[in-house]
Amino acid sequence: MKKILSFAVILAFCVSCAQKPVQQGDFPENAGPIYPDYMDVTIPDNIAPLNFCYTEPGLKDASTTFSCEGLSVTIEGVEVKWKIGKWRKFLKHASGKDIEVSGTPLAEPWKIHVSGDKIAYGINYRLIEPGYEVYSKMGIYERSLSDFDEHPLIENTGFSGCVNCHAYNKGNPDAMSLHIRGDHGATLLMSDGSLEAYNTKTDSTLGFCVYPYWHPSGDYIAYSTNNTRQGFHVKKEKLVEVFDLASDMQIYDVRNNCIITSPELKLENEWETFPCFSPDGGTLYFCRATAHPIPSEVEQIRYNLYKVDFDPITGTIGKDVSLVIDAESEGKSISFPKPSYDGKYIMYTLSDYGNFSIWHHEADLWILDLATGERRRIDEVNSADTESYHNWTADSRWFVFSSRRDDGLFTRLYFAHIDEEGNVGKPFMLPQESPRTFYKDFFMSYNVPEFVNGPVKFDKVRARKIINSPERVPFGFRWSD
Amino acid sequence: MQKSAKYLLVAGNIFLFAATVLFFAVYYPYHVHYQEQYQLFEFTAAYFSSIVSVPGGLADYLGRFLTQFFLYSGIGSVIYALALVLVQTLTFACSRNKSLVNCALSFLPAVALWIFHLDENALLSADVAVILSLLSALAVSKVRRDDVRHICFIVGIPVLYFLFGSLSFVFVCIVACREKPWWGISGVLLSLAIPFAAQYFFDYTLRSLYTGLHYYRFYRVVPVWAWVPVITILITAVVDCTVNHYGKSTTRTVISVLILAVIAASVPLALKHQADFDKEELMEYDFLVRFQKWDKIIEEANIKAPDKPLSVSCLNLALAEKWQLADRMFNYFQNGPEGLLPSFVRDFTSPLPTAEAYFRLGMVNTAQRYTFEAQESIPDYQKSARCYRRLAETNIINGDFDVARKYLKPLKNTIFYRQWAKTAEEYLNSGEIFDRSRDLSEISSMRLQNHDFLFSDTEMDSMIGTLMLENGRNMMAIQYLMAYCLLKKDVARFCECYSMIDDGRVPSKSYQEALLLAWVGSHSDFEGLPQYLGGQNTLRINQFIRDYKQGVPADRMEKTYGDTYWFYYYYRYQ
Repeated sequence: MKKILSFAVILAFCVSCAQKPVQQGDFPENAGPIYPDYMDVTIPDNIAPLNFCYTEPGLKDASTTFSCEGLSVTIEGVEVKWKIGKWRKFLKHASGKDIEVSGTPLAEPWKIHVSGDKIAYGINYRLIEPGYEVYSKMGIYERSLSDFDEHPLIENTGFSGCVNCHAYNKGNPDAMSLHIRGDHGATLLMSDGSLEAYNTKTDSTLGFCVYPYWHPSGDYIAYSTNNTRQGFHVKKEKLVEVFDLASDMQIYDVRNNCIITSPELKLENEWETFPCFSPDGGTLYFCRATAHPIPSEVEQIRYNLYKVDFDPITGTIGKDVSLVIDAESEGKSISFPKPSYDGKYIMYTLSDYGNFSIWHHEADLWILDLATGERRRIDEVNSADTESYHNWTADSRWFVFSSRRDDGLFTRLYFAHIDEEGNVGKPFMLPQESPRTFYKDFFMSYNVPEFVNGPVKFDKVRARKIINSPERVPFGFRWSD
Repeated sequence: MQKSAKYLLVAGNIFLFAATVLFFAVYYPYHVHYQEQYQLFEFTAAYFSSIVSVPGGLADYLGRFLTQFFLYSGIGSVIYALALVLVQTLTFACSRNKSLVNCALSFLPAVALWIFHLDENALLSADVAVILSLLSALAVSKVRRDDVRHICFIVGIPVLYFLFGSLSFVFVCIVACREKPWWGISGVLLSLAIPFAAQYFFDYTLRSLYTGLHYYRFYRVVPVWAWVPVITILITAVVDCTVNHYGKSTTRTVISVLILAVIAASVPLALKHQADFDKEELMEYDFLVRFQKWDKIIEEANIKAPDKPLSVSCLNLALAEKWQLADRMFNYFQNGPEGLLPSFVRDFTSPLPTAEAYFRLGMVNTAQRYTFEAQESIPDYQKSARCYRRLAETNIINGDFDVARKYLKPLKNTIFYRQWAKTAEEYLNSGEIFDRSRDLSEISSMRLQNHDFLFSDTEMDSMIGTLMLENGRNMMAIQYLMAYCLLKKDVARFCECYSMIDDGRVPSKSYQEALLLAWVGSHSDFEGLPQYLGGQNTLRINQFIRDYKQGVPADRMEKTYGDTYWFYYYYRYQ
């Protein structure tokens, strides 16, 4: 309905606005000759049209020709917008090849590399205004990656609270964990066609389950439980600091509705967070930092990457916790470790301190090669500003990450390709139908992007009902043997 | 139309219009302004489509369109008055019998809407929904052919629900009463089924879909008074269809007089129970702070001293802006440090004047946070032109020009903020923004450049002290730091801070009183007292100590010493 109305109104209101000359301030100050920057990016052959706009102030006319092995398409205008059918046909032809882009006003032609590796069906994310403690309208949204369709899975207009940490099991749209905060706090679990609201706080654990990660079997979900607070800087270079006053790790046994934890994951003066399982399910990775007084020593809190064995047959957590990356010794801190599903890598975010890297301009993406133990900053995708949350596609050929490279505040999504040899392509921004205005007019940040392999069938009417109801299924608790 | 009805219609509407304008323009103007500051009406296709894509969206859009003019309370009052006159006129127009009784009854919905608008969270979209639903009912009732009219009725129910929301039930009431029972019942059943079906398409609770999404700022609250007009319209429609309107003239007159008496009686009752003049006062202070009317704030305080933390903080800000805080702050009621910089509350009203105080102190990030949080707290998820302007300014001062441009863009799509936003953007693009805007350049020079810490409202004196340390010319910080120590009754800290600004000149009145209090606390006599603290002051504090020790009642003490720091120190903020 919204789309139909938009279309009708756009026709009525904005005919005169079409193809207005480019003006100073239309694009971020650091924008290149085109926005978004799609020059020399690597894209999948099932992605939505890479519409873009020339950024030269005063430019009125442009002509852009896309060529690939005998096929060529020319689009007129400063805003280069494809018809979706034409784009798909062109991209199918260009799969595994390079598209050469030429024309006016740019003197030099440039390329788009089209990979034969397809990207997932879509992506789910939270949209929220990047702010402080209070939230307005927000929700979890699903975006198809092969076109521009976006629709809400759940919005907080139906209840009082906020939705945040959501996770799927390797992109499986039928298994979802979603945390609701606020007056109607709960964790919603969608599994085997059912949707239930749980009270994840038990007498034996620190608090509600927060950051989730599904076990590949679907029988467990690792959660951290965090007592999180925010602080607010007074200096202009920084705005917000998010930190934990305590945090632990725990694993939820889906079949037996029971939290499992071990003393090794609940150390008194250590904070554990950001759990994730290895692709074979036998190892649990997590971040851990030594506690410091808050807020006086907030800049001393540095998280390392650890691992511990996990036996999915018995639900037993190993006794030996071992250090994987000692970031603290380098004066750095790790957040969001995410193993690739092919078992080759762990991607993580590295910042100067703390674990909430989205507010750290220095935060970058790094990758650990599990076979060689080599670590490197992924310079192909990092920028001068924040890079933070990231996720892999099920085939581990693509990853999505959030970045504030545009303006330092609003988080946008970028996608990058990684080939068999570990070569990473130049990332491209989530395509939008109207690139000239979309990001400029969009006051939301993209949070927690999660790939999905198909449309999520989320029963929003039932979700509203169970969230607004006081009934919650309680979690059981047991110590690991 | 009966002649008497004609007279009542004309006279009643003139009175309704005049009374409404008078009330909102003279007695309730800040409630009118208040509506405008919690919205940002943009002339763009995206804004239009984002609003009209939910049930009641068109009424909401038109309501917002009209509310943007509430920046001027006079225009807002006229809009309210016109809306009420239209409701009355259309209600009467919808009745088949243009009788005196129906004419008297037709004033009920308008008066109910007036009572609804005494609540600051009542939105104009309710009026728009009622007016357009009445208009639709009138149009359908004019259709002569039964089959066409029935189709219009049945099709109109879902269409009007989508356009005007659940108050379109007005349409159902009027048309159903005029039609045969079968059609009426079908219409009512259909109108009850539609919100139920709507829950599968829209992310709102079933209750909200039944009671309306955009008639009241808190859409989870059932807007009872928005529904009273519907009930009164239903009563009017039923009376229209069932009562003999052409009986005895005396009976008609008596009934009409009774109805008008009920209306007349409801006005004082509504003013007593629904109107909130305390809030009107708070809104006034907030409005005056927003437009930096510092003299007017002091003028108002001289007539009636504010006593709420928020209004006191506005007064203190005005005094500081006029460099009178140190001399005159204890001439007015003070309620502790909360009256200087109130603690953060997660709502959409109180952080705004506090944000202004932080902004003028040079605590730009805190001003930005308070403004952003206030905007995010607006219960119906609207944005605020006032907040966007301030967020643009804080981002300019912070050097985040891309973000500032982002906030300027929606303002360029408005009527009343367009010029400011365009000019600001031009200066931003030409790099002249700080040369052209004295305010921004001044605050930019006052903000912290070298120190960083996490904001803590328990360490306010350290934070403001750091502002003063970094910029000794930050007079706001100096005044606020001293006032904070005084209001916290931390005389030792005050003396410590005073020593940093003591330039040998005669200190301000409250500083003299605090220094004298400190002297009395640490000395047995006035030997060695600096000359500027002597004379009248020593006599007065001696009298104060004597009266205090003799247990003179507080009200008498207030009469004699109410303007002194000593009175505040011993009798206020206990």
